[in-house]
Amino acid sequence: MTTSALRSAASQHVRRPSAARLRRRSAPYLFVLPFVAIFLAFSVYPLVFTARLSFTNWHGSGAAEWVGWDNYAYLLANEAFWGSLGNSAILWLLIVPVQVVLSVLVAVLLNSAKLRLRGLYRVAFIVPFVTPLVAVAQIWVVLFDQQYGAINAILGIVGLPDIGWLTTSTWSKPTLALLFLWKTTGFIVIILLSGLQSIDQSMYEAAELDGASKLRQLWSITVPLLRRTIMFAVVLQTLAVFQMFAEPFVVTQGGPYNSTTTAGYYLYNHITRGDLGTGAANSFLLVILVMALSLSFVRLLRAKD
Amino acid sequence: MNRIMSRRGVRLTAAGAVAVSALALAACGPDIGTGETTSDRLQAPTAAQPEGEITIWDRSGDLYEVFDAVIDDFNEKYPKITVHHEAVDINSKLQNTLITGTDVPDGVFLDDALVSGYADHLWDLSDVLSPYIDDIAPQKIDATTVDGGIYGVPYDLNPGLLFYNATVLEAAGIDATTVETYDDLLAAARAYQVAVPSAKPIHLEQSAFLGQLQLEMYASQLGTSIGGADGELRLDSPEYEQILTFLDTVQSEGLGTRAEYLSPTDIAELENGNQVFYPWAIWFDFAPQQLLPDTSGDWRAMELPAWTDGGVRSGAMGGSSFVLPKDGENSELAWLFYEFLMYDDSGYSAVWGTNDVYPTGLNTSIPAYLPAADPAKALFQPVDALGGQDLWKVATDAGSQIPGGTPIPSWWTGAVDYLGSDLQRMLDGELSPDEVISSASDGIQTNLIDRQ
Repeated sequence: MTTSALRSAASQHVRRPSAARLRRRSAPYLFVLPFVAIFLAFSVYPLVFTARLSFTNWHGSGAAEWVGWDNYAYLLANEAFWGSLGNSAILWLLIVPVQVVLSVLVAVLLNSAKLRLRGLYRVAFIVPFVTPLVAVAQIWVVLFDQQYGAINAILGIVGLPDIGWLTTSTWSKPTLALLFLWKTTGFIVIILLSGLQSIDQSMYEAAELDGASKLRQLWSITVPLLRRTIMFAVVLQTLAVFQMFAEPFVVTQGGPYNSTTTAGYYLYNHITRGDLGTGAANSFLLVILVMALSLSFVRLLRAKD
Repeated sequence: MNRIMSRRGVRLTAAGAVAVSALALAACGPDIGTGETTSDRLQAPTAAQPEGEITIWDRSGDLYEVFDAVIDDFNEKYPKITVHHEAVDINSKLQNTLITGTDVPDGVFLDDALVSGYADHLWDLSDVLSPYIDDIAPQKIDATTVDGGIYGVPYDLNPGLLFYNATVLEAAGIDATTVETYDDLLAAARAYQVAVPSAKPIHLEQSAFLGQLQLEMYASQLGTSIGGADGELRLDSPEYEQILTFLDTVQSEGLGTRAEYLSPTDIAELENGNQVFYPWAIWFDFAPQQLLPDTSGDWRAMELPAWTDGGVRSGAMGGSSFVLPKDGENSELAWLFYEFLMYDDSGYSAVWGTNDVYPTGLNTSIPAYLPAADPAKALFQPVDALGGQDLWKVATDAGSQIPGGTPIPSWWTGAVDYLGSDLQRMLDGELSPDEVISSASDGIQTNLIDRQ
């Protein structure tokens, strides 16, 4: 076919009826339009509105004064803001590493074909996750009561002194971390289970033939092949810990002495007292922090890959 | 190459469209750029039989049922007004509703501590309340007043009382009725501790929020509160110094039970006779009625001790009012509902008197309307859990003494992070009264008042 023939075919193609061409070209955009509309309304718009709000001193009514970077400067110089981030960071350290190790072990156990009543155990692990937090919190408060709680009663049997689990700043964070672990570990186990089930069983069979112990198989096959799933769980839980609100709200109200005022709870305090500008700035700082943490985890994963 | 450029162009165009749309949407959001002010003084309807529909928000629970039962009585007087009564989580829903102006109710039940924070969105009720204002407890008027306007229909008065376990105190040879001052209370606590060495007789609140609320009860007795009428901080004062010193003495002498209000520890210490004095609002009477089966009937209530001989014997602790948002469709009709509920004999009698929800009457508060809180005309009956005591008389006598001059600033709740928290540090022996005043004043001034 000559060049002129090609041009002729192309020009015929171009001369198709314009309505049909428009329909064909616009079809993909029409398909994604519902998503884009919803995304604009419920994600982009709140984000832009919040950004605008973060540069004002608006308290929910009346005129908003443009205050520039004042809200950000106030927060970055504020001891309570850094305190809330510090509380969240400590909670992260208490929760995420423990949860990852625990979840991997439990998931491996639940994935074992030799385990009887696997279905029952799987349900048992997910039950805390679907139990309403408010009900759990009340039980937690009773269990961890300093004078009359069951936990101190058990510790008392072995001669340990009463601990102010929820009333001392030393123990309040570990107690809250324990609640979070109990509540959410089942969910992480389910995620890891799905990752485990995608690992080719022949790798374990080959390892067994080579004489690798179960521990060796766990360390050399399971963990490396689960790395992406583990990293996904870490990112997910990092987001959850830094946004943690309901647990301190219902169990400790941020106390004692603001020792369980997490980043999410501190942000909520600005909003409830009507300081919407500072609250908006706080939420942006939190977004930046969480994004930076998540990206660093992803980079870490890529580097390992 | 052209194709690549074209894709880039499409992407850029799409991103630009998203950005432009978002900015346009943001500009359409709740208006944060105007400060228009219009007359905000509500006027009562003039028609003899006004008509329309109103939406009333109340908290879910017993009180909702009580108010709900009054609607029939209200409709006998105003048959053409339809009341849509909704049980709502007010604290989580009201702020957004007022800001967006969407589906705004005509009337809302609200904690007094929150009223001033929402004042810009509410009707000033000075004109409609004027026929009643001289008969309303002054503390309640102060609590709902902002810049001279009154933004709530006062609902209940919550006088502080001294609850005490009469049975165990008598067994220890202590006559609690002779306690007239806080010095007397300390003396009685010391005497009880001698008789019962394991006792920590006086309650020391362990929740930052409730601790601050109780502190304000003590301050109310002395005619002061943390915020003045102009929103200025009043913490650095002899009154707060005196109150904090008293609490510090209870703590340092080991006379106090550190527990959160009605937590398992608190209940156990009340039941076992270690904790026998509970200076709290009238609503503590719920505990002997519902939560203290072993000591129910042993408890009594009396006026709080005075800070000085012959001084005031009560202060207010908590309380609620009804607010009317300016964006409500029929606010003036909602006012008629609340006027009936609070200032009509059949209205307030139905609320505090015997009813289906409370067969012996609602005894966890008293009316803020003084003619309804007549000591001689009890609305609720004597309380069995208080040994058949006439709590109505004790509470109304105490309530009549509560001084005014105690506004609640819009930053009150935020102050819990500073004053409430520092108070807890003091009760744990970490701060002195002076340090609490200094640290909390600094925190409140810098983080709340200066950022208004």
